[in-house]
Amino acid sequence: MVVIVSRNSSYRRALSEALVEAGGLNKDVVVLDADTPNSTGTAAFARIYPRRFVNVGISEQDLVTTAAGLAIVGKVAVATAFAMFLMRAWEQIRNTIARDHLNVKLIGTHAGLQDFMDGASHQCFEDIALMRVLPGFTVLAPADTVATKATILDVVLNHPGPTYIRLGRDNAPMIYDDGEEFPIGGSKVLEDAGDIVIFSYGPMLGVSREVAKELRHQGIHAGLVDVYSIKPVDSATIVKQAAKANLIVTIEDHRVIGGVGSVVAEILTETATPRRVLKVGIGERFGASARSYGQLLEYMGLTPRRISSLIVGEVG
Amino acid sequence: MSKFTALPLQEENTSNLFPKIRDSIAEDIKKARAKLLTILSEVGYWHELSSKSSLNIVAALYGIWIPTGTAVGIERVVVVSKGHMAPALYAWLAAEGVIGDDELLTFATPESRLQSHLDAGRLDTVVTNSTGSLGQGLSIANGIALAAKIDGVKREVAVILGDGELDEGQVWEAAATASSLGLDNVIAVVDRNMVQHTGPTEAVKPKEPLASRWEAFGWYVMEVRNDALEIAAALESLAGVVERPKALIVRWESGRW
Repeated sequence: MVVIVSRNSSYRRALSEALVEAGGLNKDVVVLDADTPNSTGTAAFARIYPRRFVNVGISEQDLVTTAAGLAIVGKVAVATAFAMFLMRAWEQIRNTIARDHLNVKLIGTHAGLQDFMDGASHQCFEDIALMRVLPGFTVLAPADTVATKATILDVVLNHPGPTYIRLGRDNAPMIYDDGEEFPIGGSKVLEDAGDIVIFSYGPMLGVSREVAKELRHQGIHAGLVDVYSIKPVDSATIVKQAAKANLIVTIEDHRVIGGVGSVVAEILTETATPRRVLKVGIGERFGASARSYGQLLEYMGLTPRRISSLIVGEVG
Repeated sequence: MSKFTALPLQEENTSNLFPKIRDSIAEDIKKARAKLLTILSEVGYWHELSSKSSLNIVAALYGIWIPTGTAVGIERVVVVSKGHMAPALYAWLAAEGVIGDDELLTFATPESRLQSHLDAGRLDTVVTNSTGSLGQGLSIANGIALAAKIDGVKREVAVILGDGELDEGQVWEAAATASSLGLDNVIAVVDRNMVQHTGPTEAVKPKEPLASRWEAFGWYVMEVRNDALEIAAALESLAGVVERPKALIVRWESGRW
């Protein structure tokens, strides 16, 4: 299959660098982890700022609520865990962090299909649906390591309030050049809409770029938009890009229910001329353990080849 | 062999500890009791026992423990975990003149600051955290206490827990976290009123031996009767315990109210 990822580009390494830098710039940054610092990338922060790092052990409900307590007295609390297991504490996130609008930054790592080895239990396809329904929450999903580092730094240092950042693991595509900025509420039009337009984010932005390439070989011009800010979302750009295309496609490693497919559909149904949206993502099924990220994408039907042939079928 | 003991305090001891407070606190509790009954009768006695058994704890913490700390330069913070005791706190605040009697009657109406479960956004001068979902307060208290350790600030945090609430697994996650971090500025005040929603705690899901459970999690444990001055005296004596979080089990004797 097509090589779509750089094996040297790691979300968690970007997280690691961003937290160390943020910790140096703001002494109120406290990082909490639930026995996964080597997996999430918080271990470097723990080494450099041991007094401002807490490993609460394997207890995610306690993790997010301790973070809430720190935030109540003015700390910038950053709680990291595998996205799937952060969701175990959804009710605490809802009733304490969201309800009291606390300055807690939740970073869910290993989201989507990136934790290929660990299988169905660890592969989280529900986090965006669960987090974007919470009042006052910001939900962000950076696509590559440049975006990850910039987003974490910006959110931790400049934006008080509850935020969820969705990250993959190690297989990050390389999309942006250093120095690129990712304002909350924005999006990136990587390629202007043509026959179709693809809205994607996170690791699947790399897959979507490959999809667009394959479509081009078949004479179909695909636009590509990075919807990295899922809440608040850049509705204006979505509406504008959608208006130019004959087919609107969303591609994500999240359930098609509640993810960005839903976000785009919700926005477009509120316009004067509602549009059909082809939602590519994960349906009524769970993941599986695989030997490689590519193997899992294949199993889930989310390789560039599978997605592009689906789109070709739609376009006719 | 358990090391915890019931506090051997008699009335004369407690009056010596807080000579100036003793009479006024008794008067305020009397007032608060009347106001609590007013609130509860307004709403058909919502979570009546939970508020009644918490009133002395509220009086001890807000009426004695916090001001005593302020007097000696210690910031003292109360976290409420068992949110359905909100009427007891409102009654106390009314007795202290913080809330007017008219406002008290707005309890549990949509526009009121006095929500059925505490709402920090509406009452942020008094309430640190919103409540209603059980089992979260100890984690919050740990976070507030931990921030003080990081900053080298003198701050003590008491959290009011219900005994039924101890069924929540998160309480024990947090109990382990507090002892593992050596948070000796955390005091878990357990309102041991022996009742949870379905009925007697020991019939629904036994909590005993409760003191031993906390002790097994690395906590220093003390037990005391449900009396404001005894609770306040116990809280002061617990200040001397270092390197361990502390649990104060407040045993309700029915009929005392």
